[in-house]
Amino acid sequence: MEAFEHIAIALAQMILIAACSPLVTGVIQKLKARLQCRSGASVVQPYHDLMKLLRKGTVQSDTASGMFRVLPALVLAATLVAATLVPAVWVPEDRAAAQLPLGDAIVLTGLLALARFLTAIGALDAGGAFGGMGASREMTVGVLVEPVLMLVVFSVALAGGTTDLGRLATHRLAVPSFHAPDLLALLAMLVLLLAETGRIPVDNPDTHLELTMLHEGMLLEHSGPGLACMVLAGHLKQLVMISLVAAIFLPIGLATQLAPYAIALALAAFAAKVLVLSVFLALVESSYAKLRFFRLPQFLGVGFVTGFLALSLRIL
Amino acid sequence: MSGGFASGALASLLAARWPRLAIRLGHLGVLVGAIAGGATAIDVLADPSAPALRIELPRLMPLAQLALRVDSLSAFFLLVISLVAAAAAIYGPAYLEAHGAMGRGRAGAHVLALGVFVGSMSLLCCAGDALSFLVLWEAMTLASYALVVSETHRDENVHAGLLYIVMAHIGTALIAFVFVTLAELGNGTDFDVLRTAGHGLPDGVRSGLFFAAFAGFGVKAGVVPLHVWLPHAHPAAPSHVSALMSGVMLKVAVYGMLRFAFDLLAPGGSPLPASWGWTVLALGTLSAVIGVLYALQQHDLKRLLAFHSVENVGIILMGSGLAMLLVHRGDSANRLATLALAAALLHTLNHASFKGLLFLGAGAVVCRTHVRNLEDLGGLARRMPWTSGLFLLGAVAISALPPLNGFVSEWMTFQALLGGGSQVGGGGGLFSVFAASMLALTGGLAAACFVKAFGATFLGRPRSVHAEAAIEVPRSMICGMLGLALACVALGVVPGYAMALLDGPTSSLVGGPGASAVVTARGPLVLSSVGGAGFGAAIFMPAIAILCVALGIAAWIMRAWPRRPARRSAPTWTCGFTPTSRFDYSATAFAKPLRLIFALLYRPRRQVERENPDSPYIIKRMRYHGDVVDLAETAVYHRFQNAITSVAGAIRARSTGRIHGYIGYVLITLLIVLLLFGKA
Repeated sequence: MEAFEHIAIALAQMILIAACSPLVTGVIQKLKARLQCRSGASVVQPYHDLMKLLRKGTVQSDTASGMFRVLPALVLAATLVAATLVPAVWVPEDRAAAQLPLGDAIVLTGLLALARFLTAIGALDAGGAFGGMGASREMTVGVLVEPVLMLVVFSVALAGGTTDLGRLATHRLAVPSFHAPDLLALLAMLVLLLAETGRIPVDNPDTHLELTMLHEGMLLEHSGPGLACMVLAGHLKQLVMISLVAAIFLPIGLATQLAPYAIALALAAFAAKVLVLSVFLALVESSYAKLRFFRLPQFLGVGFVTGFLALSLRIL
Repeated sequence: MSGGFASGALASLLAARWPRLAIRLGHLGVLVGAIAGGATAIDVLADPSAPALRIELPRLMPLAQLALRVDSLSAFFLLVISLVAAAAAIYGPAYLEAHGAMGRGRAGAHVLALGVFVGSMSLLCCAGDALSFLVLWEAMTLASYALVVSETHRDENVHAGLLYIVMAHIGTALIAFVFVTLAELGNGTDFDVLRTAGHGLPDGVRSGLFFAAFAGFGVKAGVVPLHVWLPHAHPAAPSHVSALMSGVMLKVAVYGMLRFAFDLLAPGGSPLPASWGWTVLALGTLSAVIGVLYALQQHDLKRLLAFHSVENVGIILMGSGLAMLLVHRGDSANRLATLALAAALLHTLNHASFKGLLFLGAGAVVCRTHVRNLEDLGGLARRMPWTSGLFLLGAVAISALPPLNGFVSEWMTFQALLGGGSQVGGGGGLFSVFAASMLALTGGLAAACFVKAFGATFLGRPRSVHAEAAIEVPRSMICGMLGLALACVALGVVPGYAMALLDGPTSSLVGGPGASAVVTARGPLVLSSVGGAGFGAAIFMPAIAILCVALGIAAWIMRAWPRRPARRSAPTWTCGFTPTSRFDYSATAFAKPLRLIFALLYRPRRQVERENPDSPYIIKRMRYHGDVVDLAETAVYHRFQNAITSVAGAIRARSTGRIHGYIGYVLITLLIVLLLFGKA
């Protein structure tokens, strides 16, 4: 029974992340607007956008195949499953015990990669140049991001002795450490966060201009509820990445029991951590320009080098 | 088992006058043989404690007793071969008929070669002595050569076949050298005798022999830098044979490597020399990255898949190398070695299933369009829905994405590399974890490559008349693919049940409790890794898969909520122009960012011709030609080839054609030989 309880809690966390993710986008947009001396749209604007898209009809390209309609649902599903794997609020005390585990950090990156793969397939399906260009660039960024993400995860995993995110977080809670390898890994992770959430300097989430877009270019041919799925998946991925950073570097306040008090505290801590990282994203986005696409390898190379250094310091 | 192959091959000879009948009978024979082989394999694997099945063959030759011996390692590879062979046998007849161009004698010869090829591969894994191993190895090489050049109307096939047969024989020579050395030491050719001889070797000789065998098998397996023949030869064969060559023949070479490293040359019970494991791990990592990087830049669908085989053999070698490093070095290291070897073997089975599936899918495309160039395909998803769906499944599996099988074995490899890293520590540990991050890079590149391959082949608009006219392939071909696709799904969703098959091979090679005690210690549904220094994690693949499906359905229902959306169909937006297939993003363009990022390795060549007769600003027509050459081919092989040519030229210059000149050469040689060896 305990095992099913565990899965039920993972699903509850998933619903929490899914429900909050548009809000986080709204908050970041609002922060950005304030930093740029605009009043900006309301923080709940992304919810209104999603509802509007859900109510609209769809226009599908006449070159697209049958799978074009199914892909958004699959992309959203893969991202949702990834959201079940992040310990956002609650983490069991000892996951090594008889409970059923769900997945670890490698499964998480695999699921995000699956979502990216299916999105790119959908972009090519309509047969326009914009979709192809977006898909090509997004997959290139994916190639550059994944090894760095793994390096960071491995450098943390070697300290915790596992790639399981829950056990990593509890290990962090028990043995807080802020030595050089941790800080370097955090630095690499912040570089990745910018790339994975599709924000400046890697991608510009506000544009549909063909020279600058990566992720948005892939969504051009989607419309109505399908587009709503893709947009929600985008919000979700952003919050999953933010929660991942929070879970493996700052697991302070995670609840280990199901007491109401602990849960309330954990929710507050989660909100605070997400807010801090949102401010970081908004600050970076307001103070930097987008990089030229072929400058990205250097930018992500910084992440690779710091990640590798973190790993070397850890293991040597 | 062999009866099936032999009767199939014979039947095809008898029926050579009726090509259709020959093809049908031949493939039926292969199918029967494969089923029998699979049954034998499962029988042996199901009971790991039973002694190996041994069949003494009648003494045909005065030299040696030939014997077949099926132990659990043999049985596992036999199972892999049987799986792909069965699918290929179901797929083959319709493919050959649809592809056409099979004359009377041709069909018979082709099916004969196929029977010999599959039969020799299956029996090779069961060979119990050096002589039968070498004979079957040679039969396999020659039969596959015959299949590579079976479409001789293409010049490149003949060239590919020549390159293949030359390189394969260099490999065979190295393997034969190792066998002969061992046989000389042990005074016999039976594997038992060789093993006893191998156990007592001094370390230097042991390593020398291992590296010779590794190079010999490496040629066949396509280990970088010995892989150059592979991307030429594999695509040249008919597609179901490509599936067999890529999915299975490479594995036979892996079998040979494992047999030598862990069995024949192993210093029974004590650790293997560390240089073996590091070399195999390093070359495996190199093969994985180089293979996928070159795959990304291919325009030929089948060549692209062939380069991916180089990548996957690299991944298998990463696991095997790690197992060689850790075996017999203490209890926790041994558990990790079991995990690493289980990962390598599982990836062997997985690669056979998804690469087989992808090659069969590519074959379906080729037989309907007669085009292999990605730039001339496109739009097939609407015309061939089954093929495209199954190809997409294979693409997800090979890109190591959950919840399919490629992910599972890569997850195990990741865990083994990480556990190895924390176990070994120091520079070696850093290298092991670095190899794991290169494996992540490989996964990312493979995903990019398959988005390109799938997108260019099946999505968008058709870019040639051939693609325009394509229709779905016959049902039997779809059945062949469907079988392998089911294997991909099953091995991905419930991989724990396959662990029982790995018990025998892992416990006999590494010792200890076997794969299922290590990997599925928490029941068959949960995969876990608890290895060195307490490093471990666990995943629950069925739950991941069920969640994916359930949430996908939920999202699908959400689409139709709050009200059913009105659907309209309209042309893709192309900035106001009439959309044509030239608006599609081409495969070359798709791979361009990565071509520029990795330009140091690719050394891309491009040539742009502009026709602007009236004014330099108005371009009438442009012609673009660009390609990427294999660095190993140009930097190593072409130099080697040039050296051989210049030596040959020098010899020719000295060959005057006059008889007294030659007599002079003979005398000089005789004099030198007498001076050197005449004293004793």
